[in-house]
Amino acid sequence: MLHLLQIDLKKLTSYRTFWVVCGLYFLTIGFSTASGMEFLKWLASTFDKFGSNLNINRIPLYHFPDVWLNLVWCSGFFKVLLGIMVVISITNEYTYRTLRQNVIDGLSRWEFLFSKILTNLVLSLASVVLIFIIALVTGFIYTPEINWNYVFTDLEFYPAYLLEIFTFLSYALMLGIFVQRSGLTIILLLLSYMLEAIIRANIDDYLPWLIPYFPMQSISALVPIPFYRYAFQEIQDYVDPLAVVIAFTWMILFNYFSYLKLKRSDL
Amino acid sequence: METVLTINGLTKNFGRLCAVNNLNLEVKRGQVFGMLGPNGSGKTTTLGMLMGVINPTAGKYSWFGEVPNHHVRKMIGAVLEHPIFYPYLSGQKNLELNAMIKQCPAENIPNVLELVELTDRREDKYKTYSLGMKQRLAIASALLNEPTVLILDEPTNGLDPMGIAEIRELIKKIAANGKTIILASHLLDEVQKVCSHFAVLKKGNLVHAGPVDDVGKGAEIIEVNAEVPNLDELLMTFPGAASVSRENGCFQVTLRETFHGKDLNNFLFEKGIVVNHLITKKRSLEKMFLEILSEAH
Repeated sequence: MLHLLQIDLKKLTSYRTFWVVCGLYFLTIGFSTASGMEFLKWLASTFDKFGSNLNINRIPLYHFPDVWLNLVWCSGFFKVLLGIMVVISITNEYTYRTLRQNVIDGLSRWEFLFSKILTNLVLSLASVVLIFIIALVTGFIYTPEINWNYVFTDLEFYPAYLLEIFTFLSYALMLGIFVQRSGLTIILLLLSYMLEAIIRANIDDYLPWLIPYFPMQSISALVPIPFYRYAFQEIQDYVDPLAVVIAFTWMILFNYFSYLKLKRSDL
Repeated sequence: METVLTINGLTKNFGRLCAVNNLNLEVKRGQVFGMLGPNGSGKTTTLGMLMGVINPTAGKYSWFGEVPNHHVRKMIGAVLEHPIFYPYLSGQKNLELNAMIKQCPAENIPNVLELVELTDRREDKYKTYSLGMKQRLAIASALLNEPTVLILDEPTNGLDPMGIAEIRELIKKIAANGKTIILASHLLDEVQKVCSHFAVLKKGNLVHAGPVDDVGKGAEIIEVNAEVPNLDELLMTFPGAASVSRENGCFQVTLRETFHGKDLNNFLFEKGIVVNHLITKKRSLEKMFLEILSEAH
């Protein structure tokens, strides 16, 4: 298994685009999540009423334990960058026809796919670790009084976030295997949320119970929007088990569809 | 002799097109096996099926008597159609990757690079290589795991005459080490020079299989010329002549069985004619190939 991961990482680590995209991803995530307070200050200075209605220093964006969920939710937006990287990695194998040569050289089709899935897992884990570190650091900086009981509450959103990223990357991989052309795949990947939202909106009147089972919806439902709590509303501060089951099922299905497609096609 | 490859009724349909039809073939250890056929006759499709990248519609094949699987493929070195590598990796890194996939030691890399004379360029990116260098790197990668069987598909495609000669020498060198080689090509001259056995495909059907040595057998053709006005009439009176035709200013005499060049020479000499040109022509593979193709429908 490690051997397969090494093969795929060897392909990627000498590929400049990989480092550029990953660098961009980690930079954007780092900067955007760490600069929430600056954003609030900017809002306050731009809109007069914003500051008077609400004391921004009272908003505990980066206080333990709020910081965990806040950052995890925000970071979810940037997973599309990792998704694009996965698409490039798999569609390259088709355009360079190296997938064919890999199989000729002695990888089974399943081994080839599994090497990509393992890389997806590594990327997801790296993302989780990164967010965790950023949250930990900003939490310690901004929390006025460190209460150790709070520091490590709400951490269950991290496994949920891992599932969110990994399911999305599995989806990107499957899309790449089915479409095989990088440009078209990336466009489809970017449009997936919107297309699904349109379908959901149309179906909402007839089959409302079906909504949570849509793939993109199930991925989003893993980590709920946290900011309503600052408007004194109740928020869902736990990971919904149903969402986990649905997203996990989609993750398995995406990878299984990839396998079926790969197994049946002539390379 | 040990059988390396057995093919039984292998068939591939692409929609309504039948690319390979019920192919039966056997390749033994140590053979240099040429696969001939016009463009689109199913050579690459066949090799693709043998290497697991194309799913056969019907039929079976076995390597070393084993049901095909990806472990068997690691014992075979293969280059199908074009050389395929990661363009952004250097030659060295591409080979390192291949070694990882084939699960063979990376210590072989300097040896194979030396063999194909790419040692100087090993740190350069693959995309900067010329076509000949790409072909040579492909051969290096095929040899990396010291395979017992080597499959080469059009290895001299697009090369200059020097490159063709180099690759041909390389194939001979490899064959001399007792490796089994399967060589697909439409350059008949090439096959005749390096192969021990050959098979001819036409529109997916196997129309001929046999040793290359057989090509030269059969009726001899003598090309003859002398400064005599009615040489053709004279040649017709030779009892061993099956037919006489004029070609390129010389006469081509096809001899009957058991007659040879020296008999014709003797005959003419007795008639008081001294020839200034007499060549016994071996039938070329090219000629035989064209005959086989025109006979097969």
